[in-house]
Amino acid sequence: MATAPAPRTRDRFEELLGPGRVIDHPLERRLYARDGSIAQGECGLVVLPETTAEVVACVRLAAELGLPVVPRGSGTGLCGGAVPLDGALVMSVARMTRIVEIDPAVPCARVEPGVLNLDLSTAVRHLGLHYAPDPSSQGACSIGGNVATNAGGPHCLASGVTAQHVLGMEIVLADGEVLRLGGTAPDPPGYDLRGFVVGGEGTLGVVTEVTVRLSRTPPAVRTMLLDFPTVRAAGEAVGGIVAAGVIPAAMEMMDRLMTVAVEEFVHAGLPVDAAAILLVEVDGTPAEVAANAEVVERVAREAGARGVRAAADEAERALLWKARKSAFGAVARIAPNYYLHDCVVPRTRLVEILERIEAIAAEHDLVIMNVFHAGDGNLHPLIAFDRRDAAQVARVHAAGAAIIEACVAAGGVLSGEHGIGLEKRDFMPLTFSDVDLAAQACARDAFDPTGRMNPAKVLPVGSRCGELVLDAGALPAGTWL
Amino acid sequence: MSAALAPATPAEAAEALAGLTARGEPVDVRGGGTRSARGWPGPVAGRELLTGGLRRVVAHEPADLTLTVEAGAPVADVAALLAAAGQCWPQADARPGSTVGGVLAAAASGRSRLRDGAVRDSVLEVVLATGDGRLVTAGGRTVKGVSGFDIPRLAVGSLGTLGVIVQVTLKLWPLPPARGWFAAEGALADRVVVGEAALAGPPRPGAVILTPGRLHVELTGPPEDVRPPAGLGPSGAPPAPAGAGVVEAGVPPPAVADLARRLEAAGLPYEARMGVGTCLVAVGAAEEVGRVRAWAAELGGHAVVADAPEELRADPWGPPPPGLAIMRRLRAAFDPAGILNRRFLPWSA
Repeated sequence: MATAPAPRTRDRFEELLGPGRVIDHPLERRLYARDGSIAQGECGLVVLPETTAEVVACVRLAAELGLPVVPRGSGTGLCGGAVPLDGALVMSVARMTRIVEIDPAVPCARVEPGVLNLDLSTAVRHLGLHYAPDPSSQGACSIGGNVATNAGGPHCLASGVTAQHVLGMEIVLADGEVLRLGGTAPDPPGYDLRGFVVGGEGTLGVVTEVTVRLSRTPPAVRTMLLDFPTVRAAGEAVGGIVAAGVIPAAMEMMDRLMTVAVEEFVHAGLPVDAAAILLVEVDGTPAEVAANAEVVERVAREAGARGVRAAADEAERALLWKARKSAFGAVARIAPNYYLHDCVVPRTRLVEILERIEAIAAEHDLVIMNVFHAGDGNLHPLIAFDRRDAAQVARVHAAGAAIIEACVAAGGVLSGEHGIGLEKRDFMPLTFSDVDLAAQACARDAFDPTGRMNPAKVLPVGSRCGELVLDAGALPAGTWL
Repeated sequence: MSAALAPATPAEAAEALAGLTARGEPVDVRGGGTRSARGWPGPVAGRELLTGGLRRVVAHEPADLTLTVEAGAPVADVAALLAAAGQCWPQADARPGSTVGGVLAAAASGRSRLRDGAVRDSVLEVVLATGDGRLVTAGGRTVKGVSGFDIPRLAVGSLGTLGVIVQVTLKLWPLPPARGWFAAEGALADRVVVGEAALAGPPRPGAVILTPGRLHVELTGPPEDVRPPAGLGPSGAPPAPAGAGVVEAGVPPPAVADLARRLEAAGLPYEARMGVGTCLVAVGAAEEVGRVRAWAAELGGHAVVADAPEELRADPWGPPPPGLAIMRRLRAAFDPAGILNRRFLPWSA
């Protein structure tokens, strides 16, 4: 339990925000010491600003008091990015939930960071629009958190992750300066600071408003459930569909363990005797959908699919997607806790890595289930366990490390869409040299030279930028850089 | 001008830059040289570093839809290699002679940006030779990934002022089964209505472009979808606007029609990309640069002089954007001696 923040500190934040918006009760603070990961932190005060001006005031006071600041959205992150350490100030944007403007002519929306992902899509549905990134947690996760982690989701296969959908933002820097980066006018001159902030995991500042691109909802869609007798056959179908020139809107895989758990939970009529199932969605014009669905079905059957079930109507489509997005909830029937991993391999190495993960599960005497974005090689091995069993927890960590190492050895990367946070910080040297990491530290420090914004995240402790030389030599008159 | 530096490997490029930094000698980096006529007038550096020797294909994984290539590779060579596998990097309309690294350094998105996204969204991994000769790898080679801080996004569009892009991994797309351009003539107001209908689709167009007196729409997809939209007939791709110089403007997409109206009234050749917001304008005099910039600013955008003789580049960049202090620190971190492409460093207020 963290030592209680000094009463005087609490009072000073309350002077800025008013009563009820500074949390210092130990039990409540414990809720903010965690996120969706298994990391446990130590939370100081929690502040709940409602406006940019209040964020600025709190950031300035934190600067004056020398307090580290951890920005927090909905706290659904899975890599410990929002977990405070050493009693840091947690700045929750959960009360900044206004959709400021919807402009169907761009089309885009300007939203506060606490707006929930699904609420945004719901708010624009009547315009024939949606917000494309759709993490499984979209009913709970915030747009601000999505920006921090560069979140993905099943439909990012064709439409791209969060970075491709953020046009502009307002950000409060560590010293309280407010910047507006990017906007609806494309390619503003200078470096792409807007793009750099996406995925910055709250280490660069507090994002207080986001302008996101909205997408037109396609006129036709077909969602297919493919049933395979072996994982290898399913993996071959994934590669075959892409190699045949079709990028589906989404292409998700579930292994047998997961399919069984989900079916018991959702009753979507999933084939529980399949070794693996693929949920493939194609969208576009009716002609595109027909052509691409035919390719998907042909390639799947050539790879050995036993059955192809196309959703007959929107209700059946919604049920299939509910099955996919309920996967993590369904695990509660298997074990009280789970550790969800997130790494990426080239899609040509999928089968090999799934076999390796199966071996890792056996080596560590654990249940590992798989449900993931097969189309882009983004794995989500899920280790079911019981937190009360210390020996099992140790095996969970060892197995997690082995999975990450196996993915990197197969030419993959540490994370597909969850981020690095605390969880993978110390794995960064698996893919980057000291020189690479120092360059990242320098780029981070360019935003926050004080290092107080969400410290100790993303980069291994000890990644240093070194001394910046700010005298950049003789330059043409009037040059600003 | 001293002899040009022509490294044959990324390591040689880094070594050359380390030497220049040690001696404090400025250098201009040159890829295909198709976008060099920009920035401050007058040569600043006494030397050039040519990337043409860096052109190896490191890895092409057709089933992964990724290509790792050295950055001096010509876009045309890359396009031919990919076409043979039924794939593309959607920058096929890059200027003849362009290199992959040059397109990225200039963030020169192609005309199909409406459908295919901005060029920076196609970059998965970058190897950057910094001004002081470090080889920094950032991003990752998979089609999706979070790999720490997004240095590739800083490198793309930096005009080589943070480092020389020496190698990249690109995200590829399948070549569409069919594609075609369609065009119509008419009054601007009518063309805008037809263009907006095309933008709304279906089908989702690759490009909807206004030029003086004409509207152009590119469609891709199955052959059934590549048919003339109502009011348009088959045509070729629109020619780029020609003039002594070119200004690249960016405005919010809904303001494109308004910008086009002003440009037509002024008689300036232009190519305005509906739904995207970019607009190329041919200019012949410094006064025209000022007018286009003022209009873009009024509509919530900006304009830079991209390709023009020196007399049109007295003020190539316009007013600076927010975040200058951060940009200065970034530059100092990646090019501490300030040797790289000084004439591309924006600009005076």
